[in-house]
Amino acid sequence: MKDTIVQGLQQAYLNLFHMIAEFLPRLVVMLVIILSGLLVAYALKYAVRAVLRLSRLDRLSEEAGASRVLRMAALPSMTEVLSRSVFWITLLGFILIGISILNIAGLQEQISRLLRLLPEIVVAMLILFLGLVIANFLSRAALLAAVNAGAASPKMLSWSIRFGIWILAIAMALDELGVARQTVIAAFSIVFGAFMLGLAIAFGLGGQDLARSFLERSLGEKKDDKADELQPL
Amino acid sequence: MAEEIFLGDDFLRQLMSVGEVDLLVALPTYNNAGTVVQAIQAIEDSYQQNFVRDRVVILNVDGGSTDHTTEAILNMNGRKAGAHRGITSLRTVHRVTTQYGRTPSQGLALQTVLAAADLLRARSCAMVSPATTNLDPSWIANLLKPAYRQDFAFVAPLYARSKFQGLLARNLLYPMSRAVFGLRIREMYSDEWGFSGRLATNCLGQKLDEAVRARPEAWMAVTAICTGMKCCQSFLGPKAPPTSGPDIVEAIRQTVGNLFWCFHNFQDHWLDRTGTEGVPTFGSDHELMPEDPPASQDKSFELFRSGVKGMDTVLPSILTADTHAQIRQIAALEPEKFRFSSELWVRTLYEFAASYHRATIARDHILQSLVPLYRGQLYSFLLEHGQSSPEEIEADSEGLCLEFERQKPYLIERWKAKS
Repeated sequence: MKDTIVQGLQQAYLNLFHMIAEFLPRLVVMLVIILSGLLVAYALKYAVRAVLRLSRLDRLSEEAGASRVLRMAALPSMTEVLSRSVFWITLLGFILIGISILNIAGLQEQISRLLRLLPEIVVAMLILFLGLVIANFLSRAALLAAVNAGAASPKMLSWSIRFGIWILAIAMALDELGVARQTVIAAFSIVFGAFMLGLAIAFGLGGQDLARSFLERSLGEKKDDKADELQPL
Repeated sequence: MAEEIFLGDDFLRQLMSVGEVDLLVALPTYNNAGTVVQAIQAIEDSYQQNFVRDRVVILNVDGGSTDHTTEAILNMNGRKAGAHRGITSLRTVHRVTTQYGRTPSQGLALQTVLAAADLLRARSCAMVSPATTNLDPSWIANLLKPAYRQDFAFVAPLYARSKFQGLLARNLLYPMSRAVFGLRIREMYSDEWGFSGRLATNCLGQKLDEAVRARPEAWMAVTAICTGMKCCQSFLGPKAPPTSGPDIVEAIRQTVGNLFWCFHNFQDHWLDRTGTEGVPTFGSDHELMPEDPPASQDKSFELFRSGVKGMDTVLPSILTADTHAQIRQIAALEPEKFRFSSELWVRTLYEFAASYHRATIARDHILQSLVPLYRGQLYSFLLEHGQSSPEEIEADSEGLCLEFERQKPYLIERWKAKS
């Protein structure tokens, strides 16, 4: 009995030793991969930062209004955001590869799925970001045009455009990720349709006078609101 | 020669048949069949009265007219018409016509003129608007002589204007350009101006940016100033009120956009410059004629007030918090008590110029954001000067110019600020 127990303990010890002996090299390999990843990520980050600074991306981003969106979200400059994104994406890729070396059952498949999704996540983030920038630019353009034309509700017009583009960008990003594709399309159609219907009803009921004067101006005798304004030059 | 200018074979053939010239007057036309003949006659009369022995050419650059403007020019009788009016010339008055494009563009028209002036080795040139209804032969002579007989590179016109005419120039373009570039050129944005062949060749070698194409005359003036060439002013006569023209939004885009672009691109030439100096003036000085007060401008005040309210998310990207707060404060005033002070107006404009330089938002959006504020300033000006005499208005304008000069260090501070 005593021998059996000792033999069992010995076997367990051997198994543990065997497991550790088998696991340790993998752990070292993983650490080496992550460390290499860290170096590669840093190198890429500085390279991307240098290239973007040379290409004056920050100036372009200021002009397009993207920098203001970033500032509103308490984010650094466009160059920093992109170079840091490259750093983290690279590092994350190396970490996942490193973890997969450990050969932990079940984890392998999850990591593969995540790796497969990684490009789609990046594309979705890009779509969202572009959506924000475009929405910001176009809504501001509409606001200024409406303000200078003396339109009744410039802010509403501006927000309508911003909201519409946001909905479109979110729907496109979710579609890219393949998240409940049918639901997203249906939801987008419903929200967008409801939005347009709401605008139509609001214009029809709330703005009867406005609609009438608009139609009168469009179809009847034209009178320029700014005709009395002095010639500036 | 700028790469984008394409001179057609027919145009080159016409220029070669003319040979070298001393004087060139150009007419950029677009659907001006109704007035172009009168303009050409004025130019020919001027040549025959003032430049009898000189080699001269009239150049028409057309932007794709569909009303037979070019045909109207070609069908004119040249010397016979002049002789009929009892004046003679020893040389042929050449007329050259060309079409530079299918759509009108002041920039492209000027580039074509510069290329022609360079090829013909013209010593003195003038651009005149065919839409000017009171173009007089003396105007042409006054624009050509300073560059031809003396050593001036850019000749700005001076007009007798009604007191409420050209208020954008009076309240913004003139005082601001004067303070920044240091030269007192009153009409940098005009339909008529003169320039030397040397300046034409200099400008021809430079790229004409999209931002200055609509009003290239000011770009030429600034180029002359910044390259150390001599500028002067020449009195022409009364400026007829324009029958049509750009609205406020477009006018600000074209002129203020042009001015801010020049600030940005010629910054090395003005950042260290202090004070202002006058330029030689030929003929009488700028004249202001009495005029009845314009119709009520209450709409301008409404647009200013609604603009300030509507742009409360845009203005913080352009103005400092203090200036924005002051503008919001005056927008809340009653219309009859409203006053846009010179101090605030100048400060606002300098912050706009600095924001344009740093492109804090899209540059076109910065210019559009200025429109409601200009309307407010215009309303304040008319409220204050509706009944003022021309002398009082002149004194007020001089005060505004001095305020621009006083605050120039603030512009430089904002210009160099990181954010």
